[in-house]
Amino acid sequence: MKQALIIALFAAFTALLPLFIGEENPYIIGIMISVLMMAALSSAWNIIGGFAGQFSFGHAAYFGAGAYTTLILIYSFELNPLIGAAAGMVVAALIALITGSIVFGLRGHYFALASIAVAEIIRLSVLNFEFTGGAQGILLANVTLWGLDLNSKTPFYYGMLLLLVVTLTVTEYLRKSKTGYYLQAIREDQDAASSLGINLALYKNRALLISALLTSVAGSLYALYIRFIDTSAVLDLRLSIEIILTAIIGGVGTLWGPVLGALLLVPLAEALRSNMIGDALVKLGLVSETSSVGIFLNDNLAHAHVLVYGIITVLCILYLPKGILGLFRRVK
Amino acid sequence: MSEPILKINKVSKHFGGNIAVSDVTFAVEKNRIFGLIGPNGAGKTTLFNCMTGFVPITSGEVIFNNRKINNLRPDAVCRIGMVRTWQRVKPLSSLSVLDNVMVGAFAITGSAGAARKIAVEKLAQVGLADYSAKLAGSLSIGLKKKLELARVLATRPEMLLLDEICGGLNHTETASILQLIRDVREEGTTILFIEHDMKAVTSICERIVVLNSGVKLAEGTPAEITSNPEVIAAYLGGGFDA
Amino acid sequence: MLFLQALVSGILSGGVYALAGIGMSLVFGVMNISNFAHGDLMMLGMYLAYFAFTLLHIDPYLALLLIIPVSFLFGFILEKVFIHRVIDHPHQNQILLTIGLGLIMSNTALLAFTSDPKILTTTYSSSAINTASGLSISVPLLLSFVITSVITAVLYLFLAKSSTGMALRATSQNREAAQLMGINVAKMSAIAFGIGTALAATAGALIAPTYYIHPLAGHSFLLKSFTICVLGGLGSVVGAGVGGIIIGVVESMAATYISTDWKDVVVFVLFLTVLLFRPQGLFGKKGGQ
Repeated sequence: MKQALIIALFAAFTALLPLFIGEENPYIIGIMISVLMMAALSSAWNIIGGFAGQFSFGHAAYFGAGAYTTLILIYSFELNPLIGAAAGMVVAALIALITGSIVFGLRGHYFALASIAVAEIIRLSVLNFEFTGGAQGILLANVTLWGLDLNSKTPFYYGMLLLLVVTLTVTEYLRKSKTGYYLQAIREDQDAASSLGINLALYKNRALLISALLTSVAGSLYALYIRFIDTSAVLDLRLSIEIILTAIIGGVGTLWGPVLGALLLVPLAEALRSNMIGDALVKLGLVSETSSVGIFLNDNLAHAHVLVYGIITVLCILYLPKGILGLFRRVK
Repeated sequence: MSEPILKINKVSKHFGGNIAVSDVTFAVEKNRIFGLIGPNGAGKTTLFNCMTGFVPITSGEVIFNNRKINNLRPDAVCRIGMVRTWQRVKPLSSLSVLDNVMVGAFAITGSAGAARKIAVEKLAQVGLADYSAKLAGSLSIGLKKKLELARVLATRPEMLLLDEICGGLNHTETASILQLIRDVREEGTTILFIEHDMKAVTSICERIVVLNSGVKLAEGTPAEITSNPEVIAAYLGGGFDA
Repeated sequence: MLFLQALVSGILSGGVYALAGIGMSLVFGVMNISNFAHGDLMMLGMYLAYFAFTLLHIDPYLALLLIIPVSFLFGFILEKVFIHRVIDHPHQNQILLTIGLGLIMSNTALLAFTSDPKILTTTYSSSAINTASGLSISVPLLLSFVITSVITAVLYLFLAKSSTGMALRATSQNREAAQLMGINVAKMSAIAFGIGTALAATAGALIAPTYYIHPLAGHSFLLKSFTICVLGGLGSVVGAGVGGIIIGVVESMAATYISTDWKDVVVFVLFLTVLLFRPQGLFGKKGGQ
């Protein structure tokens, strides 16, 4: 109950934020949408990765399933975006069930490996098929839904927020229910879990399915928001890794860890990508813009955010494997 | 003689060329405390693994409540009422003691409230009530064994398979666990008991099967077993405290 | 004829895959770690060969004499500094750590060498032997196959006969028991990781003359190496050798009879099929449960 209240307060606070930032600040709103999206993605991943302890390294597949199905149905058949999103969930569910039925009878490294293989098969197929736009991707000029202006950022801000709140609520509900207990038992010890009557494959599949459905909705929202997708944006292994990393940094298997991780990582990536850090160093007078260091930073820092992710991953696994929230979780 | 709840019929288990269990047959009557003993490597734990679906049987049958259960998965075996503990305890380490027992209770209820109620009850029964909020991984070995017991009891088993539940415990702890087992039997549960500690086995079991190198060596009452020359030669040579 | 050509090309390129697969399998066997930086280590081998050729004017095959010890040392240090600290961690932490190390390597390469692909052109890069029956055999592929075979044979003898090799195998069989028998398993881990790295770098160097050299070039080889390992049975060195050849042939057949675009998809589908029907691999004993 306590957590439900905190989720409600979080939702109300975040819903009011744009009123203070205002429409005239689309850049900030854009970053906030990215934060909400990554928080939702990472929270959805947390259900299978954090609670059931089954690390999926292929969640981009479910994101891509939502994104591609939605845009293809609008682009080729002029269907309503909501139908597209629903169809995306069906596709994601199929991928999840196929992956699950192949690997959930196995243990250890296999799920991680198979989840990557499935995601790669989907990425390469999308790249090679014509109806998916191949390497060019899909560009959509205009989307409308019930007369709502989908060219503005506001609907997507609230869309992503709603998805995040739903994901957090589902997580909290699961955590308090039989399924949540069973998932955590599976994470802790599979032999003990199955000796206590837990059908391992059934519960893992259930968790993966829920996680995949939520992830696919995020993909649909993203596709409608950006209106351009290609495999490197929505199906790349790097996206899968970013999703995991966000959860790891915040705290795997905790309700708020993924949200915290997204609040830290997304702005950091954005600051690197937009050269904000380089500019700040110049403004502070630490580095001269025309010096060789300044030029190097200016040329390269924008590409360095993946390098920084790599460094953070290594440091995090070595020094903070339970994430930031793990530091505060005390033995009662 | 009451009707047997469990029948082990010519069960064998081979690992490649190794014969871990060979042609073992015995039956456990309802509501008994039945002992399964033998030196290290006799095949006791392998037999447990076979009975509970963790490893497939090479040949023979396991019959529980007149139903052949050879091919059931471990979780299904639990759901029909036969539940095991582990020689090397398997606590769900980063969950609380209460949550551990709730996981067991969810085998018989879908409601978290009901599961919590059962868990509280079972924790009180084994004397772990004060530890409810502690993380399972932080308990001492003796308390972990009690936790295992509470957890399986929460599934309301018809039959309990206890794999060296007293291993590594001191005399007081052993005595309290044995008393718990007697109480559980009073409530109507049948118990199959693997144990190394001969005193524990002979004091509590009504009937005992002795395994040696995967083969059944003898079966009988504790008195018969302790006076059987073959058993003494194979196992008890060093005295009762082996 | 088409079939025979595809088969021969497949076997020849499979040799290099085998080398990469054996490296990964050895690490998995001895340390029980899935090394997700393996592809990036191959990429480093490619660049080493490239710079040995362009800066030092050493033939890429001759450069192996330099690349093998350098990359062994690199792997050994990598293990001592990073990997050994997660050896008792859950496997997902190990995967993430090696992913992180891989990201650092590939993105450092991206900053240092830019994303422009480099091409290593030797005098024989595109030469081929044409047999009387009309078969065309690429000279660099043939050379790399021969070198691969020699290295595999040496490695096999090392594992079978030398005391270090036997200690490695013992550690792979049962880490705890090996430790009890007085084997320094920590050292064995570092040696295994060093050998694994050296094999990956060698595979990278061997394909450098026939491949675009690019900071992200290793990624497609990562999953291929895993496929090889699973096919051969995780941890089985001989299995990985055979698995490499199989993957080479499958890929070459897929490229010939389906299309080059789909050859990777075919390989990954094969991977899932093996997981579904024979998770212990074609030759492996452990795995599965």
